[in-house]
Amino acid sequence: MEKVKKPLKETRQVSDILDMSSLKWRIEADGLELLVQGFKEKKILGRKCHKCGSVYVPGLSFCRKCFITIEDVVEVSKKGKIACYTASLADVRGNPVENITVSVQVNLDGSDSWLMGHLEIDDWKKVYVGMPAEVVLREETNGTLADMVCFRPI
Amino acid sequence: MRNVAIISVGYNGRFVAKRPDVNIPELIQPAVANAIKKTKLKYSDIGVVVEGNMPTFEGINYPHLWFSDHIGAAGKPVLRISTGGTTGMSVFQGGYYCVASGMFDVAMVIGWEKHDEGDAQVGLIGIVLPEAFSMFQFGPDMGGGGTGMMGGLSSTGGASFQALSYLHRAKGTPDHIDKMAAQARSNAAKNPYAHLQHPNCTAADIAKTPMVSYPLRYGHTCPASCGACVMLLVAEEKVKKFADTDRVAWVKAVATASSDATTGNLVDGQINDPAEQAICEKIAAPKAYKMAGIQNPKKEIQMCEVYDGFAHQELMWPEKLHLVDNSCKAIDEGRLAIDGDMPVNPSGGVVSTNAIGASAMVRVAEASLQIMGMAEGGHQVPRRVKNALAHGWGGLFQFVTITILGDEPVKR
Repeated sequence: MEKVKKPLKETRQVSDILDMSSLKWRIEADGLELLVQGFKEKKILGRKCHKCGSVYVPGLSFCRKCFITIEDVVEVSKKGKIACYTASLADVRGNPVENITVSVQVNLDGSDSWLMGHLEIDDWKKVYVGMPAEVVLREETNGTLADMVCFRPI
Repeated sequence: MRNVAIISVGYNGRFVAKRPDVNIPELIQPAVANAIKKTKLKYSDIGVVVEGNMPTFEGINYPHLWFSDHIGAAGKPVLRISTGGTTGMSVFQGGYYCVASGMFDVAMVIGWEKHDEGDAQVGLIGIVLPEAFSMFQFGPDMGGGGTGMMGGLSSTGGASFQALSYLHRAKGTPDHIDKMAAQARSNAAKNPYAHLQHPNCTAADIAKTPMVSYPLRYGHTCPASCGACVMLLVAEEKVKKFADTDRVAWVKAVATASSDATTGNLVDGQINDPAEQAICEKIAAPKAYKMAGIQNPKKEIQMCEVYDGFAHQELMWPEKLHLVDNSCKAIDEGRLAIDGDMPVNPSGGVVSTNAIGASAMVRVAEASLQIMGMAEGGHQVPRRVKNALAHGWGGLFQFVTITILGDEPVKR
């Protein structure tokens, strides 16, 4: 008890902020790399499983069904059907937003997986599951994710 | 494996948004005391303590180092389990295995969360980053819930894709989600421990709330609650010695199934669809029913408590658990109500109360109270509950846990 009663000679406060952007991790984004390299030639590239035939866009390094390494690169269509969508109608504080964004997941023809992006459409209420849509790439592509502008209804 | 019974459930009090009057040990301790006072147990009889909450949501990595002394755990093995949304049920199942294995006769399990003392979003970033890295490493799941959450859409954004896909599959409308949310909030009003209580809530009341991310409204989403849930698990041979009631809940089956962020929800069906949930439908649920000896879940199970962070999940999960063929049709017919033939979440569910680390455990606790006939405040299912199912989901929709309880032990 004596120790507690005795006042400390010095009190220090230490404050710090952990800046996440200062941290670095090494990751290999193999499937995305394949996709953006395809953008350079205005192609949508994915990988096909040589065992079950599933086509993944972006191309995974392994088959989700067979759990084997896959390497066969295939080109798929830029056109497909909307498999799922949502429209963001409120901001983080719950207030209605002026510019409503429609996020879609599109099942491109020739692919078994869904590719995500924004849909450019005047009225979000027109969107439906199964709606035909296509990928819009910018005129000059240079192999980055920004090459893919959006999806557009066909 | 020995049979294990739940002999007591304790809450710290009503779940609320903020508890600035207490710290973490003070939040948990009353729940422990409430559980113990309903039994003949002494603190010294407890063999092991298993606890869990969301990692770093309160900014603390090893909170049990702080509160162990406050709950009579000094000198006892204390295990910490933290598995995202499924934490509560993983903790419960950890405690179950401690007793069923024969290692301990009595286990105390604790699920808790004190949302007002931290930043859930900051905590989530720390948890989700490794999953994001896994996606980048092996190929992103550019669909499903994974990327929905990754793409800055948060849980609600990811869940909205799931909700829309579910409605499309079940041929339902957003009105069905309104109805389900209204039922949950009305049920919560009958549960003295629930957070968001709205007596006689109607679908029209829910439909007035703003649309956040179509088809999910503000009224379809869960609150952030503070609270703790404690259960005492006892081996079959010791039940008479320690239980203060004749009606205890027996653990008939435990099952889990997990995938990873890159494989999403896929087992052998469609790729990406977050409403598919094949890991529940095709792996965890059949495993649980087999262990419990249940042939026809629709007839043999009298009620369920599912983890519904968003109201559409209260419709989706009973289907994936083989308890209802089409929940949209069932809610229209009133079959999912407390007095229906398959009551779903009489407690009000997670959409009414979400202290995340406790939420999946509360599902088991509420199912056990229904079996014991001790659900307070009018949310007891009127017909005798012989078997009840509790469910939890977590991660980016790729973890699932199931527990089946009964009023009699299984002959093993």
